[in-house]
Formats: sequence, structure tokens, C-alpha cells
Amino acid sequence: MDKKKSVFGKLGEVKGLGSSLTAFVGLIVIYLVFGMIDHKVFSAQNNLNLMRSMSKYVLIGIGQSYVMITGNIDLSIGSVVGMAAMISCTLMSHGVPIAAAVLVTVAASIAVGIVNGFLVGKFKLPPFIATLGTMFVTRGIAFIVNGNRNTDNIASGIGKESADAFQKFFYYGKTLGIYNTFWIALITFLIFFFLLSKTRSGRHIYAIGSNVDAARLSGVNVVMTTVKAYTVSAICSTIVGLILGAQAGMGNMDAGNMYEMYGVAAGVIGGISPLGGAGLLLGTFGGAGVWQILENGLNMIGAQIGLQRIVIGVIVVMAVLLDVVIRNGSHISRRAKKEA
Amino acid sequence: MGNVIVEMEHISKAFSGVQALNDVKLELREGEVMALLGENGAGKSTLVKILSGVYTRDAGTVRIFGKEYGDLNPTTAREAGVAIIHQELNMCRHLTVCENMFLGREIKGKFALNNAKMEEEARHYLDELGVDISPRRIVGDLPVSKQQMIEIAKALSVHAKVLIMDEPTSALTSKEIEELFRIIGRLKEQGCGIIYISHRLEELEHIADRVTIMRDGRFITTAAYKDLTMDKIIEHMVGREIKERFPRIECEKGEKIFEVKNLNAGRLVRDINFSLYKGEIVGFAGLMGAGRTETTRAIFGVDPKTGGEIWLEGKKLSISSPLDAIRAGIVLAPEDRKKDGLCTKLSIRQNIALPNLDVIGGKSGVLSRAKEDALCDQAVSELSIKTPSVEKDANTLSGGNQQKVVVGKWLVRDSKVVIFDEPTRGIDVGAKVEIYNLMNQLKKKGIAVMFVSSELPEVLGIADRIIVMCDGRITGELDARQTTQQEIMRYATMFENKLGKVEGRTEGKERG
Repeated sequence: MDKKKSVFGKLGEVKGLGSSLTAFVGLIVIYLVFGMIDHKVFSAQNNLNLMRSMSKYVLIGIGQSYVMITGNIDLSIGSVVGMAAMISCTLMSHGVPIAAAVLVTVAASIAVGIVNGFLVGKFKLPPFIATLGTMFVTRGIAFIVNGNRNTDNIASGIGKESADAFQKFFYYGKTLGIYNTFWIALITFLIFFFLLSKTRSGRHIYAIGSNVDAARLSGVNVVMTTVKAYTVSAICSTIVGLILGAQAGMGNMDAGNMYEMYGVAAGVIGGISPLGGAGLLLGTFGGAGVWQILENGLNMIGAQIGLQRIVIGVIVVMAVLLDVVIRNGSHISRRAKKEA
Repeated sequence: MGNVIVEMEHISKAFSGVQALNDVKLELREGEVMALLGENGAGKSTLVKILSGVYTRDAGTVRIFGKEYGDLNPTTAREAGVAIIHQELNMCRHLTVCENMFLGREIKGKFALNNAKMEEEARHYLDELGVDISPRRIVGDLPVSKQQMIEIAKALSVHAKVLIMDEPTSALTSKEIEELFRIIGRLKEQGCGIIYISHRLEELEHIADRVTIMRDGRFITTAAYKDLTMDKIIEHMVGREIKERFPRIECEKGEKIFEVKNLNAGRLVRDINFSLYKGEIVGFAGLMGAGRTETTRAIFGVDPKTGGEIWLEGKKLSISSPLDAIRAGIVLAPEDRKKDGLCTKLSIRQNIALPNLDVIGGKSGVLSRAKEDALCDQAVSELSIKTPSVEKDANTLSGGNQQKVVVGKWLVRDSKVVIFDEPTRGIDVGAKVEIYNLMNQLKKKGIAVMFVSSELPEVLGIADRIIVMCDGRITGELDARQTTQQEIMRYATMFENKLGKVEGRTEGKERG
């Protein structure tokens, strides 16, 4: 083997990099097209807004991608987002200090992740069913937390100053000219990118998604690995819940509705295989960007919400269809070669 | 003696260059049971699959009831009167007996299905067999033996006159076998011809009229059962010359390092006792389904044990998962590469690294790429895995090279016991020799090697000691240098005599 491969040669060998980069190329193309239709798309403020709102999808996408790489799915993401927003804001609106409120919220969400992980990893429930169950339960908790109504403004509990600080930290404040929300997403992304690509646990996540039997026979603890993936998903959802809480200054019972599906879309557009075992988190980042720019751009050019949905739906299906066609194409040619 | 109803002559068939059948013939008469015998891989299944239209032959003629048939497909074979009762039963478990019997040829009334008519017919054929099953029962709720009866009834309902039964008794209890034999008797009276494939030679005297023996895809002999002795049959089955040379090396047999005591895990692992010594390869021989794979899986902690102890270097181990076994120094290269051995979507590097991430990651769990590459290079060069790059997906490799990855990933760590389950299945001769050499290296290093293989010549050629299993039990232990294929085969077919016992056994319901 040639040890002195160029940097590009090495990069070319990284699996899944192609589809990740495709997502970024798509992102840029879509951005330019919308910009050409309406120059406001290119405005500084719009760019800042774009980065802030795509952050939510990046975070959701990271969580869902972790689970998808294990070959499973997490339908409870949106409900965990809602639960996190409700728990944190309920506590704060009752005067519980920010740090304590956040801590309780994180603990509650992680519990959901662990339950999901055990239901799927240990008790072998189909992930679709297991997380469908926790989806309803967590949404139910989000409703019950404040007695079936949205919370009061958090300033009414922790005071205007603290409320401001909380809202700035997660949503309205800027660091180095860019909204904090984006930095939070970026740092979270970097941490989980590192964990997934450079650590033992990360490798185990790919392994159980590729072939759970082979992974187990290679000494991988399948239950713990599944729990870890679902926990990452829950943590990411919590952060989004806090962001939504900060944005509104209060907890909304419906916060995060459908977010689990946005996560699937971001991952799939970025080349994460819904069957597990393949894909890079970098692609998810790009996929979240594509999603957000589509939404933003269609909005800017005045497309109706219905049309937006249709375009987005078509893009998701196209992304996977392309992947399937390419893969089947290579299958067919390989089979043809064999028979020849 | 009845009329000849099936004549197959000069049948040849190759699969991607491998000759599975070479000028084989088979004849079946009305009202007889023709036992088709041979080792695993002798070509029995291929031959009957040609008759039932699953495979098309490359050469030869097939005549059924005197009529010559060109290429058969499953439909034309069925129309000609051929039915096969599969080893793995092919039924929709959630549907009823009646629905299964009429699947694909439902009887329709004016508007909807005519269930009453179908049930009546189903009952008629079941009655004809003397089987008491309601056509309304859900198939999945019935024991395997009854499901088999339904398959037979289904065959009768399409007026099959040639019935092929592939290992029909393997899942049955003694009582059920007696029932099956009674039904076979009835079928004979009705003029059906039955091709009966079984490894259980002791059954033959109860039902076989004639015997056809095959070996390595060739026809060996056909004779009336009463003209043959059991020894003669075994000799015909295994009388293969050992042409290949095996690179066996001689080593000083060292101390005992591994011992399995009274291991039990389901029907196929019953009271297993054996020891492994340093500097020794122990071959595990037996027919397919003898419980060897199940034994390795129980030892390695993949499947739960119901009893027994595992000792390594004088210490009793408690193994409840593969991770426990690996930590203790026991590793397993499993039988089924695609299912248990490889993560096909991951690269070769990632596959080799997977069980060694504890070494590569150290305490922090952060993987060192340098260590990983070094380890991977070592495995690739030691086993000469042929690939343009270790970054390629594992499923791009040829079978032999895939197998080398499955084996190679274990060799870069220090193990004390290495278990190989069918390591040479489906790989080319060159790769086989490399695997043999590798086992020899381990043997030289003082590692205990457990070598499961269904290929008698290679077990004889590589192993020092041979343990033979049959039907979940160890039936013999032999010195590889002293024994013969015939002797191994005798132990491998030493089934517990299920027949002739008056009292019904209680087990057998665990399966199915």
C-alpha cells in the first residue's frame, strides 16, 4: 500500500464524502438561484437569519443521523423538543434559576433517550413502534407539565434580566457578528462529528447499522451502543427545545411538532442511509442547509406554503431515488459482468 | 416391481464453473421408495431440484411417465406430477391449512372464493392420508410434523405421483416418524414413487426399496436395499480419494488450556465435553445440522447456554456475550460470512479494526489512525488479502478474501483459543491453503485451535484430533492420523435410534 498518498487521494477514499459534498453543492446552487430571483436573499441580515434558523435543523439532523446510522429511527425527537421547551420554561416561569431548569430539562430528555435505546436495543422492539410510543408519551408530558396550557413568559418567574440573558444566550445574542444559535449548533456538530468519526463508540454505531450480528460477534455491546445513539438524539432535541423556548420567551406545547421528520430529511439529503451503516455527519449539515435555504428562498420569492411543502417533499425523494438508481445501476453492471 | 415412472439420464449441471453434477442417472418406479444417499455436497439436492424444475440442467434427458421433457420449470414439473416436500417447509405460517393448500389456485364461486368447496377438498385429501387436522387451523400453530403432512396432502391434491422428500424426518420425534412412514406406505399403495433423501441411514431399513448413492456430483451405484450392508453404503458414500495434499505440521502437544464441561444449549448442543491442548488443532466433523455451529456459538456467548462450564487455563469463565469471550481470549470466525462475519457496508479497514477497537482506542476511546493502519496492514500482509485499497467496502472482495478478513481481524490480537467454523467453505484452493497455513501458525504459537469443517479430507489432513458430532451430541473422538473417512462417517451418522421405541419421546417440540 502506498503510504505517501496525497491529501486528496486520502480524501477521495473517505466513504460518503461524495454525497456529503453533493449536499453542499446543492445548497450553494439553490442559494444562488434564489438570490438571482430576489437579491434580498443575498442580504447580510438574511444570511444571518438563514444561519440561525438552519441551526435547529442541523441539531435535529445530528440526532436523527446518529440513530439512522445504527439502522433505526427516532420518532420521538419532535416531542422531546416540545417537552424540553415546556419543562424548562415552566420551571423558569415559576422562578427556578436558569441553570437548574436547564439541568432538569436535560435529565428528563436523556431519560427518554435511554428508554428509547433500551426498548429498541434490549427488547428488540421495532424502532418505529418503540419511538412512536415515546413520541406520544413525551408529547403528553409536554402538555401536562404546565397543566395543559402554554407557559407564562419566563420573565414573570426569573425576572426580566435573567430572561433576557437566557434568550440572548440561545437565540437573540450574537458572538463575532453571528447569532449564538449558530455557534451552539456548530460546536455541538463538531463534538458529535468527532465522537462519531474518531472514537470507539462512533465506530460501533456504524458497525451495528451495517450488520448487527457481525458487530455482536466482534464484541460490540449492541444494547449500549443503541442507547448511546438515542441519547445523542435526545440531547440534540433538548438543545433545540431550549432554543425554541428562548425564541418565544415561553414554552409552547406544540413546539417541535414534526421535527423528527425534518431530521430524517436533513440526513437523507446529506447522504445518510436510512438503512444504517453509511453516511457522514458532514452531509447532515449540508442537508439541513439545503432544507433551510429551500424554505427561506421559497418564502422570499413569495411561494405559498403548500408549494413549499411540495418542493421539499420532491427534493427528499429525489435525493434518495438518485442514490438508489446509482446503486442499482452499479449492481446491474456488476451482475452483467459476472454473467459475461 | 412397478413401471418406471421417472428416468433421468446423463444429467450434468455446473454452477459458475463448478461441476455440481456429472453424468448422473436416477430411476424411479411406481410404488417404491428410492433412497438417494450421499455426503453433504454430493449433489442430491441439485439433482432433485432439476427434477422439480428449480434448476435447469446443462445436459441429459428427463422422462416422466415415459414422456420426455425439455427444460422443466416448477410449473411444468408440477403438471408432470412431480412434487417436492422441502427441507424447510414452504408455507405461509399465518394462513390456514386450507388457504395454504389452495394458494395460487383458489376455487372461486360466482363473486367470491368458494371456501366451503376448498375446505371439503382439503378435508378429503387429509382424510386420505389418515391425518386428523382441521383445514381451518392456522399452519403456524401446528407442529412441524403436521405441517409436513399438509405439504404431502397438498402434493396429493395436485395429483402428484412423484414425491421428493428432502430430510423429512430431521425435525420429527419417533412417534411422528412412525406416522410419516405409515403415510409413505399408503402413498406407495396408491402407486406414488418417492425419492427419499436422508442422512439417517438407520431409517432405510424401515422404508427403502432401492438405494441410489452419489458422491462428488457423480452417480456411484443403484441397488436394491436388501442387497447392501450399512458398511457398503458408507463406503460408497465416502470412498473419495484424497488427492489434495494438506500442509499438516507436527508440533509437541502441550498442556491442556481449554475445557468444556457438560455444555447444553438447546436440542443441538447436548452434554458436550471436550478439551483443547496447546499446539493442537482439533477438528469437529459431522453432517450439516449436527450441532457443531451451535456448539461454537454457545461457547462464544452468542446463544444462551442452559448448562455447563467453560474453563480456560484452569479458571472457570462466565461467558454471557461475545464480548466476555473475547476479553477472556476466545475468538470465533463464524460460518456465515455475510450474516455473521462482515459488516459489508464498512471498509476492509473498519472490519479488521472492529474487534480490536479496545487496542486502537486505548482508555480514552479516541481511535488512533496510526495504530489502526498499522494493525490493518499487518493483517492484510500476513494473510495476503488481495485488494487495491483497505478503504474499499468489504463486499467488493472475492469470497476467499472476505473469509481472510473474517479470520484476519482476530489474529492481530493475542488470543488463547481460536474457533474456526467452516473457514474454507466456498473459497478457492489457493485461499484454502492460506487458511490452513494460518491455522498451523497458530498451532505453532501454542494457541488452541478448534476447527469445524464438513469436508472430511481437510479435517483428516489438517487436524490432529477429530471430534465427531451427530444430532447435538459428541459421538466419537478419533486420532486424525489413524482414522479413515469411513470411520468418521460411521460416527457422524450415529443417530440416537428413534425408531422401534415404544414410548414416545417428549422432546422435539422445541423446534418448529
